[in-house]
Amino acid sequence: MNSIITALGSVESILLFAARVAVALIGGVVVLRCFSSLRNGRRREDPVVVLEDMVTHHVIPVLYWENSIGRSKSCDIVLDDDTVSRAQAVLFRRESGWLVTDTHSKSGTFINGKKVRQNAPVLPGDSIAMGSTALRLKRTADVGGLKPSKRPHRAAASPFSLLFAVTVSQLLLAGQACLAGTKPSILPLIPLGILLFLEWGLYLFSMTVLNRVSFELETIAFFNTGVGILLLSGTGLKNTWVQLAALAAGLMLFCLIIWFLGDLDRAMRWRAAIAVLALLLFAANLVLGKEYNGAKNWIELGPVTVQPSELIKIAFIFVGASTLDRLQTAQNLTGFIAFSAACMGALFLMKDFGTACIFFVTFLIIAFMRSGSVRTIALICAVAGLGALLILKFRPYIAQRFAVWRHVWEYASDTGYQQTRVLSYSASGGLFGVGLGRGSLKSVFAAQSDLVFGMLCEELGLILALISVLSIAGLLLYARSDATRSRSALYSISSCAAAGMLLFQTCLNIFGATDVLPMTGVTLPFISMGGSSMVSVWGLLALLKAGDERTYAARRRKRV
Amino acid sequence: MRTTGTRSFILYILGIGFLAGLCFFLYSLFVNGGDWAVQPFNKHISGEGSVAAEGRILDRNGIVLAKSENGKRVYNEDESVRRAMLHTVGDTVGYISTGVQYNFRSELSGYNPITGLVTPTGKAAGSDIRLTLDSSLCKLARQQLGSRNGAAALYNYRTGELLCMVSTPDYDPENPPKDLTTDTTGKYSGVFVNKVLSSSLTPGSIFKLVTSAAAIEQISDLDERTWNCNGSVTINGNQITDVRAYGKLSFKNALAKSSNVAFSQIAIELGANTMTSMANQMGFNHSFSLEGISAAKSIYNVNGAQPQELGWSGVGQFTDLANPYHMMILMGAVANGGTYIQPYLIQSINNPLGIRTKTGAAQEGEPLLNPTTAEKLTAYMRYNVTAQYGDSLFPGMQVCAKTGTAEVGKNRKPNCWLVGFSSSESTPFAFAVVVENESSSIASAGRIASALMKAAQKAA
Repeated sequence: MNSIITALGSVESILLFAARVAVALIGGVVVLRCFSSLRNGRRREDPVVVLEDMVTHHVIPVLYWENSIGRSKSCDIVLDDDTVSRAQAVLFRRESGWLVTDTHSKSGTFINGKKVRQNAPVLPGDSIAMGSTALRLKRTADVGGLKPSKRPHRAAASPFSLLFAVTVSQLLLAGQACLAGTKPSILPLIPLGILLFLEWGLYLFSMTVLNRVSFELETIAFFNTGVGILLLSGTGLKNTWVQLAALAAGLMLFCLIIWFLGDLDRAMRWRAAIAVLALLLFAANLVLGKEYNGAKNWIELGPVTVQPSELIKIAFIFVGASTLDRLQTAQNLTGFIAFSAACMGALFLMKDFGTACIFFVTFLIIAFMRSGSVRTIALICAVAGLGALLILKFRPYIAQRFAVWRHVWEYASDTGYQQTRVLSYSASGGLFGVGLGRGSLKSVFAAQSDLVFGMLCEELGLILALISVLSIAGLLLYARSDATRSRSALYSISSCAAAGMLLFQTCLNIFGATDVLPMTGVTLPFISMGGSSMVSVWGLLALLKAGDERTYAARRRKRV
Repeated sequence: MRTTGTRSFILYILGIGFLAGLCFFLYSLFVNGGDWAVQPFNKHISGEGSVAAEGRILDRNGIVLAKSENGKRVYNEDESVRRAMLHTVGDTVGYISTGVQYNFRSELSGYNPITGLVTPTGKAAGSDIRLTLDSSLCKLARQQLGSRNGAAALYNYRTGELLCMVSTPDYDPENPPKDLTTDTTGKYSGVFVNKVLSSSLTPGSIFKLVTSAAAIEQISDLDERTWNCNGSVTINGNQITDVRAYGKLSFKNALAKSSNVAFSQIAIELGANTMTSMANQMGFNHSFSLEGISAAKSIYNVNGAQPQELGWSGVGQFTDLANPYHMMILMGAVANGGTYIQPYLIQSINNPLGIRTKTGAAQEGEPLLNPTTAEKLTAYMRYNVTAQYGDSLFPGMQVCAKTGTAEVGKNRKPNCWLVGFSSSESTPFAFAVVVENESSSIASAGRIASALMKAAQKAA
């Protein structure tokens, strides 16, 4: 009898192990397929309209949604004319059609002979004159001899099959969660059900109501979110309720932001208001905030506690990003630097240094993408470095936080407690983990949030943990490769900044927990427990989604 | 837009940083994962709900020295065996850093980078490690040492198998004293040190073997020379003394009687450079290792020494230090024609599936002596035993040896050494025994060596 029970136990172990291997495999394939589909589904770089020199009949293709025109080699449309300014004007496309904005040129820009300043509509057949050059806007179809791009259009992977694969991986994980305890339980099927409802709900909404073609970003995010929520279910079901509620809120925010960014003019109108709102929220946080574990970054709103800084992340990027015509007219960063300084100052007052670092790195990305000035960035870094040194000098207790860094084994029973447990239990899990809910790291403080990477490694294995973090790193490549295809520089900057912010936060979390970097206590996007973080991550994902012109393509096609 | 696209390259800096950090973590995990996983606090190894049980440690005859039972580490049932094997096997907590349980903890825990501490079947166990040591020989050495502090090591200089390694003081790993780490009176001082590997003690006259080797190579008429020993010699205003006046001594009798007067003069005659280069050649100032565990260095340093200090250094005093493990290897080298066979401790490691993952084997080491010198030294050392120490200590084994009675000063009696080897084909054993705070080498270290060699002969 005993031997039968042992044998059954072995069979169960082998099946659970196989399930973990399968989840890792599915995860790897889904993430790869999603990214290759995002790449292949992109628009080819074919011009929509062209500019024809009215004298030489030389044809210049207009490749982007926003195009700078000028004498400078860095312009999208380069005019070899000494009477044209280096940055003369911007030709851009909005919902209403093509527009031209003169960017403080010396000689002025004229449409059909009329001098224009801002947002002057230009129709096919109209002439645009600047300096001694005159150009005519033409549809591509009206001009022959343009070489079509060579890359054949490849079909993207079916969004349905990708999400279906994610669902299978979630079923396998939930199965693990059911068998995690000493007695099998069907309760983990409840969070699974809610999760599936939310992800298929969003899928049906965006496919049938919004007529979107791509669902890859959401699929990757749902894969990671599923891993996170089901991992948490192994530490107690009550941990998943907050996560699931936050996910629902996050999905709403996701849809809202995409809708909001759909109309660029409206978005630009709201920018100042959102900046003020963000600062007010920080101020409220400082006044009403509650201090938990050394950082005063929580506000209690009745039964819910929220972390305003998480939501301000999205506002921060949105306020920092800018359209190309504005970049050309107002080149200095002063306003944004002041806004950023106020945000980071507030975070320092809250003693939330991890988030302050995230804001700073995001600030650097935005500042560089806006100005392109290495000197400005170097100067800012020097000032920030000096500031950090001063803080360390006058607030030595902050320096003490870093004393344990790279020495965690010497302080294994006090300040290095968390990191040493992460390392030990991560290694214990091997490539495929000891089993969901069967880990030991979960009893260590902050295991579900700051140390969740260790829990992931221990219970589900290194491979799955790597797939998760690499999929977040993949967002960076995606944002970058789509940067010139966005509907405006605002979208490219915000999607690059969002991807950078997500990856940097990932770095701080996983490297902090594993003692590659000092521990700062930030969450791992999608996976860590934390409602505000979950909402904010989906909001950031919306910025990435908005950076992809396909997000709005279907709707536009319908309207025409 | 193109400019914006170009500037987005800044993201690559972040991406490269991420990849660099990730590679660094993965590399550390690959290299140190075993160490990380097998921490005493890891609940997968110790405590309730443990998924892994550490493997066993066995001696060469399959006697269990340590095993895991119900989440606890238990040791051999015989306390003398437990104490004798303490420094080789190691303790449960990991205080003894040269022990097998510490150095092979990832093998014992069954850790591997693929499945970590678990196996797909859920029934995990670590690898079993079989040692080359003979626990009965170790127990004998431990009993012979009794309450005295010292060390004994013995190995087969043909195969490299380490047969005996014992160090005292010790404690019982099964029932460690409660005040083991909190005591401040010093009653447990040195219990965590394996003296064979990690100590260097004043060698005394066993160092005369180095002086002899140098003399054999440098003094062509060595056997015709004589030294007049009238109890002491004054060098540079300082007296170097012998136990008594031996009169006129030939070289071989000077070595057998262990005359300080003769050997200090020989050392001075050879000079600091010759002495240093011979000591270095014979393995002084060099760290030997056992299964990757580094041993303490033997020291010979006469930089800037006065003539009388050079004289004292030639008889194993001054600042000379000898590591017992090195002394055993040196004896093996002399026996083996000048080149030693690297000793090993791990006979085999078998993983839970019964597959052998490591097998120990003989490996030739460096030459410490040239073959002619080794041959001549063997003859002198053989004469020591037949003429002076008594061949009956090692019947039928043709043992060649040298005693040492090293003065350590400060109201303490000398370190008593006996190092040597059997030159008989059937008993290819080399040994080094040291007993602290004793007066007669033969009566202390000699007796222990005799008992060990007889037991090893019987087992061979």
